[in-house]
Amino acid sequence: MAAGAADGAGSVGGDHHHHQARYPLDAASYRLLCKIGSGVSAVVYKAVCLPLGSAVVAIKAIDLERSRANLDEVWREAKAMALLSHRNVLRAHCSFTVGSHLWVVMPFMAAGSMHSILSHGFPDGLPEQCIAVVLRDTLRALCYLHEQGRIHRDIKAGNILVDTDGLVKLADFGVSASIYETAPATSSSSLSAFSGPIHAPSSSAAALSSSCFSDMAGTPYWMAPEVIHSHVGYGIKADIWSFGITALELAHGRPPLSHLPPSKSMLMRITSRVRLEDATAESSSSARKKKFSKAFKDMVSSCLCQEPAKRPSAEKLLRHPFFKGCRSRDYDYLVRNVLDAVPSVEERCRDSTQLCGCARGARCVSPCRHASSSSNVAKNRRISGWNFNEESFELDPTDKPPPPEQQSCFLFHHDNDDDDHNMLEHEQETNPTGGHGDDDSSGSARRRQGDNTDNGQDGKDGLSDVAVPHLVTILGSLEMQKDMVMQVLEGGGVGGGETAGRDQEREREEMLVGYVRQLEKRVQALSTEVEEEMARNAHLQELLHERACENHTDSSHTSGSR
Amino acid sequence: MKGLFKSKPRTPADVVRQTRELLIFLDLHSGSRGGDAKREEKMAELSKNIRELKSILYGNGESEPVTEACVQLTQEFFRENTLRLLIICLPKLNLETRKDATQVVANLQRQQVSSKIVASEYLEANKDLLDTLISGYENMDIALHYGSMLRECIRHQSIARYVLESDHMKKFFDYIQLPNFDIASDASATFKELLTRHKATVAEFLSKNYDWFFSEFNSRLLSSTNYITKRQAIKLLGDMLLDRSNSAVMMRYVSSKDNLMILMNLLRDSSKNIQIEAFHVFKLFAANKNKPTEVINILVTNRSKLLRFFAGFKIDKEDEQFEADKEQVIKEISAL
Repeated sequence: MAAGAADGAGSVGGDHHHHQARYPLDAASYRLLCKIGSGVSAVVYKAVCLPLGSAVVAIKAIDLERSRANLDEVWREAKAMALLSHRNVLRAHCSFTVGSHLWVVMPFMAAGSMHSILSHGFPDGLPEQCIAVVLRDTLRALCYLHEQGRIHRDIKAGNILVDTDGLVKLADFGVSASIYETAPATSSSSLSAFSGPIHAPSSSAAALSSSCFSDMAGTPYWMAPEVIHSHVGYGIKADIWSFGITALELAHGRPPLSHLPPSKSMLMRITSRVRLEDATAESSSSARKKKFSKAFKDMVSSCLCQEPAKRPSAEKLLRHPFFKGCRSRDYDYLVRNVLDAVPSVEERCRDSTQLCGCARGARCVSPCRHASSSSNVAKNRRISGWNFNEESFELDPTDKPPPPEQQSCFLFHHDNDDDDHNMLEHEQETNPTGGHGDDDSSGSARRRQGDNTDNGQDGKDGLSDVAVPHLVTILGSLEMQKDMVMQVLEGGGVGGGETAGRDQEREREEMLVGYVRQLEKRVQALSTEVEEEMARNAHLQELLHERACENHTDSSHTSGSR
Repeated sequence: MKGLFKSKPRTPADVVRQTRELLIFLDLHSGSRGGDAKREEKMAELSKNIRELKSILYGNGESEPVTEACVQLTQEFFRENTLRLLIICLPKLNLETRKDATQVVANLQRQQVSSKIVASEYLEANKDLLDTLISGYENMDIALHYGSMLRECIRHQSIARYVLESDHMKKFFDYIQLPNFDIASDASATFKELLTRHKATVAEFLSKNYDWFFSEFNSRLLSSTNYITKRQAIKLLGDMLLDRSNSAVMMRYVSSKDNLMILMNLLRDSSKNIQIEAFHVFKLFAANKNKPTEVINILVTNRSKLLRFFAGFKIDKEDEQFEADKEQVIKEISAL
């Protein structure tokens, strides 16, 4: 219950938030309790804010070094979250930096995301009256966002958070965009990236109905067709499509076409229509038996209309008969039959808490800092220090750090000198084809390598054995799919058998070309991820190994700096 | 909907006039807080009017904005002190109305009346409003709104010059390091806009204020312990120095041993992003054809380390320009 209360139960436009408690802007004021979720470049923790009577909060720690988004985009998200105020929209209490991480302090939504609820207790979907309650609150949030000229761009069960009292909040504005702001990154002049409202007044109205954001955003299964072939540009109606897919996700436990790999599902959606029947037909047999009301089916199919213009607005959708039946007692039903039936957020994530690259547990100030920086260090031998001492200019340049008494007058630090060597070894171990390190380090590296082999079965180095091959497989499958699309393109016969006009054919080809380009980017991104993951694993092993070394020996060469 | 049943639709000028009257009321009755029914009513009316101004300027879901209506609105808006009132009263408005007001003010900066930007003329005569907007960074509640307005106002070259030449420039070094991420980033964005948008004005500012500006920039931003401050500052430094219009300033910057030392330390920062941005500035030191002796000395003394560093210095993406630059730097240093 603790969460959400601090956020106030404000309504649209209320200025309640001005009277909210001020959350402190330093890491020391918070104690991280446990990890409750993680993504590629962010980890979410359950935490308490000590000065505010240990109020429970959620803290999203975004690794700004790993995050692919540039700082401007991260700022845009933070600003968006700071300026939104609606009962059903997750709003950040505050955000501040901790090392190279951005900590976003948010209300703790104790029941977790709808996605997590589905996968931990309702794999075949939820009862219809629960779906209605959750979707209605989500729609209210969408109404508010759209009225603000804001597009969410990533509506899905994973972004719908629930509190233990059934309060629903729409979260994650990582990719949200405002139609009052010029599109970032894609704008031709880099200077205009900072500018506010769209330049020419005449174009802004057009933007309101069909904003032209040409960058790829969102998560494959929930993406509307016009977002996928993004050159068409898309507007707020893209959110309505994703909303329809989310409705099916809540009904069946997973989004339609999710038995296909993400990229294939995108291709299907481009080349053929997704119909409600498709969604149900391919579901498991148990789900097929499920009966949904006519109102529900009608609501969903109106959202999944191929033409954006024909999809209802969020406001109109809210008046759909499907939501007319919602009563406040349905919240109780949701709480009793759904929320109480799944394990707590903490329990759901317990298994994965060990995976945090940081070996210091949940209390460490800057989560996963070691893991992330190691990937850089591993690729790049760090220089121990520059020689700015003018007296020594006539001497030979030195590789060793200057003696301690001189250090104080230099601006640089000598922290991880030993780490460098360790990292290098790992490069050699995990990447036998890679180049060797410097002469001065290879000696010690070889010695250490010997130790490593002694210490082989530590039980935990299975991690890399599992994670890396998995990622490699994904990468391989993506590459295969890319080839397939290329073949289809070259063959010319797209989709086959369809009686589409020539224009449509050409358009489709364009879409596919765009799609291939996106896929290529994805493959590239994934390869870097694999690389990073491998470096991370290497570092983990190193830590383990180091600890083992410290236990067994006190040999002189393990003068580790930690 | 209500508008349909009104006998006579209000003109855009009417909406502005009514907004102004309500703002004057709000300004005068600022003392009475809460519980005042009449004030509440006026507030609601004001919010409605400001939203209407927004929909005239931006259009709404069904219709595009009409040029003639925008002209009327703009003329009436700047005929009297509506902008001043709106800025002063902003802290009293609710969140949604603040956002609407910010968007209205932003849009008005681009509106032309008989091919003149009226907003620019108004601001030139009311420069103290910029002082108010800048001081917004000291108030968490309005910082983001004032910040957005400010960035729109400095699109006008004369206004940007005013801010650059004012004492406010020094304050930005504090604002950028505020603990609150969204506000610090907003200040950072404004700072960047000031130092990159109007080329000639920026070049003039940097030459005139070289000493204090770069001394602050080096000591407070580039040497900051705050990751974001450092990362944004090194990026901005690169943008400024690599701009052709700032070439004189760039030559001066890369002739300094102290600057070189700071950049070399950033090259070995623990953050890869900072390293890469630092490289884009470091390369200018190496490429300088007239390196002062003290710069050469440092490069020679650290030559083998630098070469070893660059040998292992790679970025994730393939980048031909980066590789070419790196090769050039390696060549320059080897040849010393």
